[in-house]
Amino acid sequence: MMTLTRRGFALGTAGAAAAMALARPAIAQSEPIRIGWLGSLTGPLAAPGVGFDRGMKWALAEVNGAGGVKGRHVEIIVRDTQGDPTKAVNATQELISRQKVHAMWGPGNSGEALATTPIMARQKMPDLHPCVVNSLIDPEKYPNAFRLAPSNTQWDDAVRHYTLDIVRAKDVAVIGDSTGYGTSAVKDSVANFKKDGANVVYQATIDPNTSDVTPDMLRMRDSGAKALVIWSVTTGLNSRLMNARAAIKWDVPIIGHPALGTGEVGKLVDKPANWENVYMVGYRSCSYGADGKLPARSQEFVDKIKGKIELADTSLWWVLCAVDAVNVITRAVAETGSTAPEALIGAWNKLDPYPGLFGNYRFSPTQHNGYPTDEVVMSAANSQRDLVGLGCEEQTKGWGRGRAPTCLLRPC
Amino acid sequence: MLSAILASGLAVGAVYALIGVTYNVMFSASRVMSFTAGQLGMLGGVFGALFISRLGLPGVVGFALTLAACALVGVITEIVAVRPVLGRLEQHLYVLSTLAFALMIQQFTAIEWSTEPQPFPRLFGIGSGGPFDEKFWLPLLACAAVIVGLELLYRRTLVGRAFLAIAEDNFAARALGLPERNLRIASFALAGVIGGLAGFAGGELLLANFANGGVLNFYGFVPVALGGLGNSRGAVVGGLALGVFQQAANFTVGGVFASVAVFVVFIVVLLAAPSGLFGPQQARRV
Repeated sequence: MMTLTRRGFALGTAGAAAAMALARPAIAQSEPIRIGWLGSLTGPLAAPGVGFDRGMKWALAEVNGAGGVKGRHVEIIVRDTQGDPTKAVNATQELISRQKVHAMWGPGNSGEALATTPIMARQKMPDLHPCVVNSLIDPEKYPNAFRLAPSNTQWDDAVRHYTLDIVRAKDVAVIGDSTGYGTSAVKDSVANFKKDGANVVYQATIDPNTSDVTPDMLRMRDSGAKALVIWSVTTGLNSRLMNARAAIKWDVPIIGHPALGTGEVGKLVDKPANWENVYMVGYRSCSYGADGKLPARSQEFVDKIKGKIELADTSLWWVLCAVDAVNVITRAVAETGSTAPEALIGAWNKLDPYPGLFGNYRFSPTQHNGYPTDEVVMSAANSQRDLVGLGCEEQTKGWGRGRAPTCLLRPC
Repeated sequence: MLSAILASGLAVGAVYALIGVTYNVMFSASRVMSFTAGQLGMLGGVFGALFISRLGLPGVVGFALTLAACALVGVITEIVAVRPVLGRLEQHLYVLSTLAFALMIQQFTAIEWSTEPQPFPRLFGIGSGGPFDEKFWLPLLACAAVIVGLELLYRRTLVGRAFLAIAEDNFAARALGLPERNLRIASFALAGVIGGLAGFAGGELLLANFANGGVLNFYGFVPVALGGLGNSRGAVVGGLALGVFQQAANFTVGGVFASVAVFVVFIVVLLAAPSGLFGPQQARRV
């Protein structure tokens, strides 16, 4: 009978530990790539989340259908945050600690991201998100966070320049919904309008569930506003504002957030005419050019998803942006052969440029705002054609006075 | 301007009033404040849009089916969330059971219907968004119909008097041989009809949106507190006053401050008159 000596036990234990350590990289390189997705999929702020979700699922099927990334399967672990920052924080902690995700996409709206970004930074979790609030990107404070959409400054510049230089309205009312995003966007927008010499005659935030906004609209009219600037992702509130404007027979231009042009707004306006004279931030990748065509990459995607992804009730950019998110993550894994946080963050810091569907992103160690300003455009909100793109003819390039070269697309 | 504020204020107020009456009808029969009242209002809008817009049924048929469906939800509320806790009313378990059931209704609607507001069909096509648009007077018409209907029911019919009997003294009513359980079920069905009517009549204003449930639960409770628990006439006056005050506050202070103004007044009124402006229904010798 073999006897177990103390020396034998110690050697055996050390050998087993060494074998496990050697095996770990092999396990790590064959385990699925887990992407956490913090989506506001239900609730009044769900419109973008639903669009992003469709893009995520499409991209996931494409990557796994092509054999994954170096043989590694990709998994997306979704948590519905319902637009609630508290739920988003809990979901973030659960995804990092229990689900052990390798990278994160989201949250999908800024109010939640304001709460989750510091947590992800502390955990060094690589995070891509589409949230626009400026303070969410700071390579020193949050070296793990990268933005795959325009910042609020880029949106705000486009809207402000359009209001002041094209509509030529100097007296403006600025309103938003009462979410974290809406409140912050109104504050920034008002400050920038004032800086540019405009007269902000009215500013307010409105509860997104308000059933009738006629009194708010009357207040804005009485304040002497010549243009309304709206920062809200809530389709119900946006359409109610348009209906109330029509009810009081006030033909003032409405200018603002991309959600002003989603298909859901089209369904909720009392009549199509109420959607006239509304202009929204758009993107070159989702707009028809002077030749009446979408950019080649976008057209190819739209052809591919025809009948497979519903676009009538969402915005194409939400879908494209989420597809890009999955591709940016998987490309970083393919390049580095690793899902370690520092490997992914290092790879993203060198993306210059990355030709995505939604935009040509550029990141560097000191610049995590990846969306190019010259791909932000303004479009008529009701000019959606074939349920995919907005605008059709380039009208103006540049805004004069040395401003950002945002271009304006005329409605079809 | 005044007409616009009055029109929208009275319309929203009528919906709040009807939800307040829904609370009261359920409370009278069971002594339970069922927090499903707002969800019944929400379902009125959702079922209306479902039957008329999505399924293409005629308006009258859609209306009848909506009320029937909401009555059924009322009955299920009684069976699932109220009956099991009636024996322990003093522990207020009904707060948990009815709130939980309300949340289930809301989440189920969000999953099966949509999380985005959906359009509610134009019922008559009268008006073009101005103060006399049908979306403003339909809730008022519904409110008036409910007041008249309840008065006729309670004063002129045997069933209505039986409702009043169990509302006033449950034990005495049972001792007289009244079928208390059946009457309670009928009360919850009636509450379902009233709540569904509120949502249907206010559908063009509120849209068919799952999130309306929480809002109506909240603002529908205010007229009950203002008018006095169990006092439906008080709820109607309180609801209309709340709607007009809310819209006037929207106009004068605007934005989220309007909600603050509404609740400041609400708290002040309750401090001055804890039983509501009209007080609870008075006990009387029978």
